[in-house]
Amino acid sequence: MGAQLAARTDNYEPVAVTAQGEGDEQTLIALAQRGNATSFEALYRLHIGKVYGLCLRMTGNASEAEDCAQDAFIQAWTKLALFRGDSAFSTWLHRIAVNAVLGRMRKSRREHDRLQVVRDISPPTATVGDSGGMQDLEQALDELPRGARHVFVLHAVYGYSHDETGEMLGIASGTSKAQLHRARRLLAQQLEGTGT
Amino acid sequence: MNNDEMTEREQRVLSMARGLATDVQPQRDLWPGIALAIDDGSVIAATPRWPRVFAQAAAVLLLVGASSGLTWYTMNNDMLPVSIEPDHSALTFEPVSGSFGSQYMLGPDFQDARESLVAKLDEELDRLPEDTRADVEKNIATIRAAIAEINKALAEEPDSVLLQELLLSTYSEEIAIMQKVDGLAHAVMRRTDI
Repeated sequence: MGAQLAARTDNYEPVAVTAQGEGDEQTLIALAQRGNATSFEALYRLHIGKVYGLCLRMTGNASEAEDCAQDAFIQAWTKLALFRGDSAFSTWLHRIAVNAVLGRMRKSRREHDRLQVVRDISPPTATVGDSGGMQDLEQALDELPRGARHVFVLHAVYGYSHDETGEMLGIASGTSKAQLHRARRLLAQQLEGTGT
Repeated sequence: MNNDEMTEREQRVLSMARGLATDVQPQRDLWPGIALAIDDGSVIAATPRWPRVFAQAAAVLLLVGASSGLTWYTMNNDMLPVSIEPDHSALTFEPVSGSFGSQYMLGPDFQDARESLVAKLDEELDRLPEDTRADVEKNIATIRAAIAEINKALAEEPDSVLLQELLLSTYSEEIAIMQKVDGLAHAVMRRTDI
């Protein structure tokens, strides 16, 4: 990617960053922890895709996902000094994003307002297999009950273990397994109905 | 079938899920909103604030500890050989969660007890020997300065549990000293009466 970030002239210290690789990310984190907003912007550019994708799949709503992703990065800025590198920065960010989603959902039960997530998602460049089947899966995923959907997204799509998924969602690891089983079964049934 | 046993279709679902895009760009750039929130001061900057707050808290704790120790020493030296048994029953304190700091009010029971003691304090202090009185006044002033400092820190970090607990314990220290002054003054009065 090699994103050269333009220096800002206001209160930001100019930092030119080739935003690629773990070493660079560590530097960006260290600078951002010292209050350098330009470095934080570079971190945002690096991670927004995955954070927004996670929020989008969890909420099923593009507008809410944008709000959640924005909240997550603002929260991350406020908590950055507490990041000690015990986990990957992306994992740390994802935890914050999951909390942002759960917090927002607790505040407003607007499930019925959910839009069709498939139509909001950019063309799935990273998908494999036939695109029709993928679209059916996206649609079926959107129809899942919230708990099952959250577990499925974190475990099956983002690859987190049941322990990590449970920790992020504030549920037991066994509950995560049960929800995954439920999600799998419901998705299989739905896809069977569509002939996928 | 247990949770780990999957039908062929379920396996296919999982396999497809692994191929779903995890990196999805939002339709608009979210950075301007984030930058605005960071910039306008509504969001606390990422510069290490916790160490500063902890340092403040530690300093205040030290101050209160030293002050209380000094007061305890002053009141328990040989100057007043009268055994004092302050009546704690009237001042039983029940902590009220989240009721402290610049944005909060003290619980009503605590406030009543404190106000009652503050109202009597000057009167009680007049009954103490001059040296003891000076020490007690100095230490109460130190504790009140600490309360003001913690309140200031709480204004910046209203959700800090550490600061809330510190404020609670500092108020308790203040009350304990006033309570002791109350008991001591009465003891002095009784002794004078003898």
